[in-house]
This record gives sequence, structure tokens and C-alpha cells, in this order.
Amino acid sequence: MSAHATSLSSAPSAAAGSAAPGGRRGRRRPSAAAAGWLFAAPSLTILGVFVAWPIVQSFRYSLYDWRIGAKVQEWVGLGNYAALVEERLFWNALRVTLVFSAVSVVAQMVLGYAAAAALQRDSWLTKAVRSVFFFPTVVALATIGLVWRFLLDPNIGLLGGVVEWLGGEPVAWLQDPDLALPTVIAVSVWKNLGFTMIILLAGLKGVPAHLYEAAALDGAQGWQVTRHVTLPSIRPTLLLAAVMLTVSSLQVFDLVYVMTKGGPLNTTDTLVTMLVREGFEYFDIGYASAVAWALFIIILLASALQMRFFRYNDVD
Amino acid sequence: MSTETLPAAARRGAPLRGPLRTPRRPAAPALRGTLKWLLLGVGVVVAVVPFVWMVAGSFRTEADLFANPASLLPSEWTLHGYQGIWEELPFLRLIANSFIFAGVTTVLCLVFDSMCAYALARIPFRGATLCFWLVLATLMIPFQVTLIPVFIELFDLGWLNTYHGLIVPRATSAFGIFLLRQFFLSVPRELDEAARIDGAGHLRIYARIILPLAKPALATLAVLHFMNLWNDLLWPLVMTSSTDMRTLPAGLTLFGGQHITDHAVLLAGATISLLPLALAFALAQKYFVAGVATTGLK
Amino acid sequence: MRIARSLPAAAALAAVTLTLTACGGGADDPPDAAEPGGPSEPTEVVELTMLTGFTGGDRGAYEDLVATFNETHDTIHVTMEIQPWDTIAQSLPAAWATGQGPDLATPSFDPNIIAKYLETDSLLALDAIGDGEEQINADKLAPAAIDAFTVDGTLYAVPANVATLQLYYNKALFDAAGLDGPPATVDEFREYAKQLTGDGVYGLSVGERETIQMWPILQWLDGADIVDDAGCSVLDSEASIESLSTWAGLVKEQVMPVGLTGAESDSLFAAGQAAMQLNGPWAAAGYLEAGIDLGVAPVPTGVDGDVTLASTVPLAISAGTEHPAEAQQFLAWWTGPEAQRQFALASGFPPVRTDLADDAELNANEVVSAFAAALPSARLYLQGVPNASRVDAEAYIPLIAQITRGDDVAQAAGVASATLNGLTGCEG
Repeated sequence: MSAHATSLSSAPSAAAGSAAPGGRRGRRRPSAAAAGWLFAAPSLTILGVFVAWPIVQSFRYSLYDWRIGAKVQEWVGLGNYAALVEERLFWNALRVTLVFSAVSVVAQMVLGYAAAAALQRDSWLTKAVRSVFFFPTVVALATIGLVWRFLLDPNIGLLGGVVEWLGGEPVAWLQDPDLALPTVIAVSVWKNLGFTMIILLAGLKGVPAHLYEAAALDGAQGWQVTRHVTLPSIRPTLLLAAVMLTVSSLQVFDLVYVMTKGGPLNTTDTLVTMLVREGFEYFDIGYASAVAWALFIIILLASALQMRFFRYNDVD
Repeated sequence: MSTETLPAAARRGAPLRGPLRTPRRPAAPALRGTLKWLLLGVGVVVAVVPFVWMVAGSFRTEADLFANPASLLPSEWTLHGYQGIWEELPFLRLIANSFIFAGVTTVLCLVFDSMCAYALARIPFRGATLCFWLVLATLMIPFQVTLIPVFIELFDLGWLNTYHGLIVPRATSAFGIFLLRQFFLSVPRELDEAARIDGAGHLRIYARIILPLAKPALATLAVLHFMNLWNDLLWPLVMTSSTDMRTLPAGLTLFGGQHITDHAVLLAGATISLLPLALAFALAQKYFVAGVATTGLK
Repeated sequence: MRIARSLPAAAALAAVTLTLTACGGGADDPPDAAEPGGPSEPTEVVELTMLTGFTGGDRGAYEDLVATFNETHDTIHVTMEIQPWDTIAQSLPAAWATGQGPDLATPSFDPNIIAKYLETDSLLALDAIGDGEEQINADKLAPAAIDAFTVDGTLYAVPANVATLQLYYNKALFDAAGLDGPPATVDEFREYAKQLTGDGVYGLSVGERETIQMWPILQWLDGADIVDDAGCSVLDSEASIESLSTWAGLVKEQVMPVGLTGAESDSLFAAGQAAMQLNGPWAAAGYLEAGIDLGVAPVPTGVDGDVTLASTVPLAISAGTEHPAEAQQFLAWWTGPEAQRQFALASGFPPVRTDLADDAELNANEVVSAFAAALPSARLYLQGVPNASRVDAEAYIPLIAQITRGDDVAQAAGVASATLNGLTGCEG
């Protein structure tokens, strides 16, 4: 079990353990650090200059009533954060974001796994179906949003038309405050399912056949095999997928923005749609940055929790 | 995700036979098989219908679209959508710019991400873990709040409205580093050691052993990066102001108006924009599903 | 593909491409206007860049206008780029604040945006105002627009366009319901709407959000309003509550739809599933193309007389422009009689000038004359109200959303008023 735990935090030390024997013959041992930094240098430089530094800047902005182009910025310290805590729309956005994430991540993990498992074998049919499932991921979000808005329009949409043809009443999916969020979640899952499926598929492909053979010999069937052999073997993959999905779904913006812009009645207003509104419609960059940093803390917590879950969850 | 849980045979790096086949589940009832394919069928329909609507819609007139909303296919066919795209946009230039931006940046990303991932997965150096966490942390801030600081930074550097300003800040990705690191960790170390015994240094191990085995991961990453960059609207628009550097998404937004939208043209643009991505995905398919047998995410 | 070998090669190629393009200078300037007389021509052509948000079907008329300007002016050349409004909102403030960006721009479709850009001193104060062709004839332009763009006595923008909302109605549906013509008074308006409803058809199509606002007109027709001159809410006045309740009642009876965006409201009418709609001149062409038997009429007269909603898009100059004189010359031309005549005929929008009322050509054009006729009685939405975008998003739209879904009007209006007053800083 500890082997899997090494995947994220102690891999280098494990690697050090196994590299040592060969290292004595090579000449790189003293320059391991140099080699390491050298290999990582281009990426780290770019990330440092163009991603990390602006992130630090955005934190700085959050401490001011930051207005773009102003000669002197007004210091407010934690004022933006205090305002945030009192803002009803912030708590609403937080709720919406958490619900969105929780539901869509779980749905994608479950459905993604099901699809990957069902399509493991390499036949022309499964490859074709995999392509079909992956396709939604590839299309631009703006287009997807437009297409789905059309399909879901209660008056002129395809879905409504089909429902009517079947004798029912068309549903106002995106106009009803109770239905809008579930609908957006469903479209998001639809779009990202292929991505999850591909990652989990790659993991499944790596499970050695003999593990299944051993399980079969023990008389294990179906769900037992999944629970005791497959899932534990792909735990690192599950972790990768879960963390990436969570990190990105907590920051969902484009899809929601194109489909509902946060409405109706703020029922699909996520933290990022809120901060984009604050920053670019109301020009309150400091406050928007504060929202972003509040979100950062949430994402950090969520990721840490997931690491813990996947690390210590003894399934077998 | 290391190899220590594998039984001895696999750890020796013995060639795993053929495409890895998962043995049939013992005595699966026919019903379950049918159910599985039924559900997959539903999944396929749900995945495909919006596309059919989109592509068909690019051939429909406005009148048809509103008069027959419940129909998937056009009642009257028109090429006006595609004509509009061709006539009203400097199409070839937009495509060329998109290819330059997406293509060059993707290649750079693959190189830099894999190098960094190799360092984090294979080279034991102090600070590697902290490094990794910092890289991961950069994914946790929405880019919308870093847009303005980056803009100001590029302005100060004099990199606005230049190709290097467009490409270099995007030439590496924390997600790519994360993904490749996980993949690299699963490559059996025995292969590294064998090479090292032969006197190979990090560079050779990286280039000759790790990279070839990570083809599926690299192919997946290439497709994902290319797709994101190809579809990126905001970054090129904010960081460049010259109309000669406009990418395809910018051109396509011209057709969706605040008041009036010419849907056929918009959908035609979306369909055309999709083609290179579909091609890239088709090309990459054979890498990221077939070759995973020799090294997978474990 | 041998990735191991080709990757470094590809990287090298990429790096080389990068260097070459960098050395070659990535950005090409827009080509200079053809200079008559060849290279020996001594006059310098001033290049101006302009950024507008007129995507979609509206585009053609604006592009033609810029083309005409370039053809008739040898010494100034304007290049217009069009981007979506959202993108402009994200790129323009930073660009102008750092002295970059286009010389001219329409920062937003919301006239109240002027205040925001003034906070960062991004706009050029217009001083080439007066009579004659080279000057901006501010006194001849739509007063509501000029008012909206004047702050502390200084004019900062001219109207790129002015639009009014009129009543679109579906003649075929009217015939089917046995109605002769469009309603003339607000009571008839409601009556007709009820009569026209049924069989999957709404009497009146309205948008709730992401739209040019239609609900304010409904309130004004009943003599009610949103804010008073002091910026204090009058949403919870008796008149207002009664008006809102009446219209909300219509929604309950399914005479009007609930929760639609502007685009969805348009689609409804274009599909023949709504008999009436309040909309601007841009919609006419689309509806005709969709096959609707279209009629355009003035908004029915309200209790206080004729009223409708106007909206205007500001066209402003960057404070950092290197060519303020030429830029203002462009604005003067844009709002001049020839340009406005050309624009109106091409787009159906009324001209922004008030002195073209007797122009025969314009009067002959049905769409233009219909929408131009409404100008004198048109009002801007939340004009001059502090924090107008927030008021719209946080007070007004939620109010409409709630009452159309059955919430108690008096209570919702009370909450909306409190929010509004908080945002505008109303005292008392």
C-alpha cells in the first residue's frame, strides 16, 4: 500500500533508494541536484515568471481597492475578504460551486470508469465508441454552450420537440431555477466524460493480466474482482483523475457563462462567474482577486482531502 | 504507482505479452452483456446527437431552424453558412495563425513538461517535492485573475503583440507536468538501471527509454494541449492587438451577435474549426490506447 | 512517429520558428491606405485603430460606414476591429490604462460604462464641439445620449448608435384572433395579449435577462418607474407595485413567458410562437427572413403619454491617443448627416441626429421612420444612476425573476428597493 502512497510525495526518495547502486559507477551522483534543476529549469522558469508571479500579484491586488490604471491604489488590507464573508452572493456562489463539483466529479468518475471498463478491449467497435465519447471534450466550449442552449430551449428546442412528440410538456431546463444547475452539471459531465474515460482507460490497460487470473482462480467474480483487484491497482490513476477533475470543476466558468451567465436568479452562479463579474463588469479587481484566493484555499483543502482519501483508504 | 507490488516476472521488465487482454469475466450472463451494450448505445446517442445537430445546422436556413426546431436534419439545404465563413473571414490567415500558436506551443509544452516531469519523477534532488507541490498549486488559481498582471508584465517586457509573447508564457503546463510525472513513475526502474550500467546519463535515459515508453501519455497530452490552445479565444485577443495575428476563434465570434446571430455561419465555423482537432485525435488514437500495454498508469 | 527522435527535432524547429518570427517582428501594422500620387506623396496618412463590439448581423452597416470614411478622407485611415463585448470588457481597461490599445472604441453596449473608464482617466475629453462638418454637432444629437455621455459638463463620447424599442407584432396571428390592428393604449395592450394567447402561442414575448431591458417599458406605461432623480428606488411605490402585479398576473396566466434571455425571447417570436414583442430595429430583418408576417407599430400609449426605451452605445477616444484631432474628426463625421443617413438606411436604426426628421429618403424607409419616430419620447434605462450595472444585476433582474415566478410582489419590491438604495447610496 505504501507503494501507491509514494506516487505523490515520496517518489524521489524511493527513486534515490533504487538509483544508488548504479550511481556509484556513474559520475552523476554529486550533480543529481544540478541535473534535476537543469531538466526542470525551462518549465520552472516559465511557470515562475508567467504564472507564479502574476498569482502573487493577484494576491497583492486583493489587499487593495485595486483599480486598473490608478496612480495610487487604496490599501484596504483584509477589507475585501471581510466584505466577501458578509456577501450573500459569495455564500451562494460557494454553495453552487461545491454542489457542482461534488456531483460532476462523482458522476464523471463513476461513468468514466464504467465506460473505460466496458470499452477496455481493443476492437474496432470499442475504438469507434471511445472516439465518440471523447468527441465532446474536443469541441470549443462556446460552441457547446450554444448548441445545448438551442437543444434545451423550451419553445424551439429539439429536446422539447421530442418530449412534445412523445406527448409530454416541454421542460424549461435552463429557465427554471431548480433545474438550471442540474442541467448545467449534466452538460458538463457530457462534455468531460471522454477525458476521464481516456485517463482511466490508460490506467486499466496497465493492470497485469495475471492479477485477474489469480483472482479467477480464487473464485472471485464480477464486482469482487473490481473491488479487490482492479480498483486498488489503478488507485494512482483514480487519484490523478479525481484531483484534476476537482481542481478544474471548482473553477468552472466557460460552460456556465455561455449557458446561463449565472442565472436564473443566481442559481448557477459559481465562484468564478462571480469573480469575473466583479472584476470585469464592475471593475472591482481587488475584490475579484479576493474571491479567487478564497477559492484557492478551498481547492487546496479539497485536494489535500482527496490525497488522504486515496492514500489511506484500504480497500483490499 | 511504483512497480513494487508487481510479482517478480513483471518487475524483471519481461516483455508483457501482446496487447494486454483482460480475461473474460467468468460466466457473464447474456443479459448483462446486452445491458452493457444498451447503455453504451444510449451513451453514444447522447454523445452524438448534439454534433449531428451542429453539423446539420450549418446547412440550415434561419427560417428552417426556427420553423422546425424539433427536426435534426435540414428541410432545405443551403451552403450559405460555409460561403459566409469563406467570404467574410480572412480564413487562411486565421487558420495559419491558429496552427502556429497551437502547434508551436504544443511542441514546446511536450518538451518542457516531459523534461520537468522526468526531473520530478526520476532525479532525486532536494526540493523536488516542494517543487511539485508549487507546480500543482499554480493550477488552483483561476486564470482570469492573473490575466491583468500577466498583461502588465508582458507590457513591461515589451512582449505584447509579438509571437514570443503569445507563445512563451504558455509553453509549459502544470497539468502536463503532473500527468507525465505520474506516467513516468510507472516505468520500471530496472530499465533505467540497465541503461545506467551501460553508461547512459540522464539525458539518454530520458530520450531513449522514458519518452518512447510514454508515447500514450505524450499523445494524450499533445491532443489535449493542442485542443485547448486551438480553442483559446481570450489569450490571443488580450495579448495581441494586431488583426494579422488573429486566430480562428476570434474570427468565429464575429458571427454571434448581441442581437442577431447568423446560426448557419456560426455552426459552419464551429464545424470547420473541429476538423483539425478530429484529425489530431484520430492520429493520436493509436498511441494512447494501443501502446499502453508496455507501460501504463499503475 | 518515432517520438523520441522527432520530439527534440520538433522542438528545435519550434524554437527556430519562434526566433525567426520574433526577429521578423510578429505584428504587422495594418496596411497604409493607398496613397494617391505614389511614393512622392508628401501628405502623411494618419492611422487610427478602432475597436467595437458589433458582432453578428449588425456588422455590415458599421463596416460600410468605416469604408466610406476611408474612401472620402485622404489623410486619415481608420481600421476597425470587432470583438465580442465580453472580450472587450476584459482587454480594453488594461490596454487603455497602460496607454496601449485602440485610438477609438465602444467600451460597452451600456452607456453607463463611461463613468467606469473615467475613474481611470482613460477617456479623452472632447473639445472639437460646435457647428459645421469638422466639429461634433453635439446639440443636434439625440439629447438622451449626449446627457448620458456628459460628466461634469464635459462630453466624453458620442453615440455610435441610438436604438429605440417598438412593438413588433405578427399579423397572421392577429388575423387569426380576429384583431384588426396593433393595440393603441396600454389597456388594449394587455387585452390583446390575453386574446392572442393560446394553442402554444404567447401573447407577448419578453426577455428577463441578458437582454435590452423590456420590463421598464411595461412599468412606464402604467406611470410607474424604477428610480427617481435622487437615485432612490420607487419600485415599492403603490403605483409600481400595482403595475408589476398586473403584469406578473399576465405571466401567471401564461400570456407572457418566464425566465427567457433576450435571444430566447427573440427566437420565440421568430418561431411564430409569440404574437407581440418589444424590440429594436436590428430584429426586423431576421424576423422577415424567418418568414414572419411582420408589422411594426409604436409602443401603445401609456397613462402618461408615449414612452419607450432607448439604448445607446458610446463611442469614445482613448486619453492616450496620439492623434486626438483626427480622432475627433472621425467622431464628427460619424455623427454627421451623410454618415447617419447611410447608416440608418443600411441598418434600420434611427439616425443619432435630430435634424434629419424631414429627410425624404429616411422617411420613406419604414423601419427607420418607425424607430426614429419614437426617439423624442424614448428614455434610457437607469440613466445616470450610480452603480447601474449592479442595480440591474442585483436588484432589478432578481425582482422580475421573482415576481414572474409567483413571489409576492410587494415583498419582492421591498427587498429590491433596499438593495437598490444600498447600491446607489440613496439617503432616506
